[in-house]
Amino acid sequence: MKMSDVVQFNFEVLVVLQRLQIPFGFKDKSIQTVCDENDMPVEFFLQLVQWFNERENFPQEQLIRGDAEWLIIYLHNTHQYYSHYQIPRIEKEIEYLEKMSGIPDQSVQLMLEFFRGYIREFTEHIEDEENTTFPYILALSDALSGRLSKEKFHTRYKNYSIDKYLDHHSDIEEKVFDLQSILLKHLQPPASSFQFTNLILEINRLGNDLKDHTLLEENVLIPKVRQMERELKEQSLHL
Amino acid sequence: MVRILVAEQSYLLRKGLIHILRQFPEAGEIEVLGSNLGIEEVLQHFNPDLLIINSNIATSTNEKPLADLIPEDCKVLHIINTVLPPNAPDNQLSIYDSKVNLTEKISLSLKSIDDRQSVDDSEELTPREKLILRHVALGKTNKEIASDLFISAHTVISHRKNITRKLDIKSVSGLTVYAILNGIIKMEDIS
Repeated sequence: MKMSDVVQFNFEVLVVLQRLQIPFGFKDKSIQTVCDENDMPVEFFLQLVQWFNERENFPQEQLIRGDAEWLIIYLHNTHQYYSHYQIPRIEKEIEYLEKMSGIPDQSVQLMLEFFRGYIREFTEHIEDEENTTFPYILALSDALSGRLSKEKFHTRYKNYSIDKYLDHHSDIEEKVFDLQSILLKHLQPPASSFQFTNLILEINRLGNDLKDHTLLEENVLIPKVRQMERELKEQSLHL
Repeated sequence: MVRILVAEQSYLLRKGLIHILRQFPEAGEIEVLGSNLGIEEVLQHFNPDLLIINSNIATSTNEKPLADLIPEDCKVLHIINTVLPPNAPDNQLSIYDSKVNLTEKISLSLKSIDDRQSVDDSEELTPREKLILRHVALGKTNKEIASDLFISAHTVISHRKNITRKLDIKSVSGLTVYAILNGIIKMEDIS
């Protein structure tokens, strides 16, 4: 099947391609060729596409069987997308509300403070993953494959396990949906509604996307890492 | 709206169940799991009102027993992989049940959850809830609110649940924004 046909069938797939850093401009190339050219396991790509095409059939077990490295690449690029693009955009759009008539000044200020508070929490959340959790998982994967010696791994991560990460793994979409409710239900709307409608749509999109992100982290990444931790333990016992 | 988590290995059964669930206006968000992997996190995070779970998943080994993980108010329906005796309880669904049978049992559960949720159907906050919200927005903990108002912590929690359901706002900072917008507290009160 051609890559361009997959995209035509469901344009949301563009997001998957972007997060796997596969450039567009496929011409007539097949899915296999495009994946090969980018050193991407085709199964992983297809599992994500299948999920995007049938939301209620999340390929949890298949994804868990896949590569931890690729999952992390996907999650990392998703973080980048949120923090460098989507979130600053929403912040700008909230700022823009100040110029609109009909909304009381204080409300916009409140929304901004609320959203900026959220950005701080969000940044902390992803920095923890980027600086601690992801490097740990990559090292764990290296230790399992022998690229990193088990002794080195154990000295580096004597007191760390994925459960530590779970201890402070907080809900990152909750406040986004709170903001959506406030704008949609509880705020006096502005006189002109183009930007306002767009803002609510963008917030809803971010919220739904964060839900997907959480699903990948909680239902794939964490069980996968637990499995890897067990495997390493078993390997170490047999030494 | 009832939040539903379906934990079932079989793709066909999941599809069928979701198809039936979607026919009920009471059915809200539906999440799906295909195994016991990650069920602990999903139960905590998604906080379903109804869990429909295959007995194979329910009994497969997890670190903690499933009963400890299920939220307090969550109703459970068990999917049983054999034919049920005629006097089986209403919380068991057999994979051999007819559509009428399944629909009836699911309907019973959904209606009972929905009734419980809509005891107080109005979306307006009651004066009592506004008072609780005021305290929440001022940054007080459930315990502090309970002792300030001479009520039990359990009552505070149940008020908070109702407030969140009515306003569709979960976080303390979101509730604070609402409280200021609606004059329940003043901006100066929190600084």
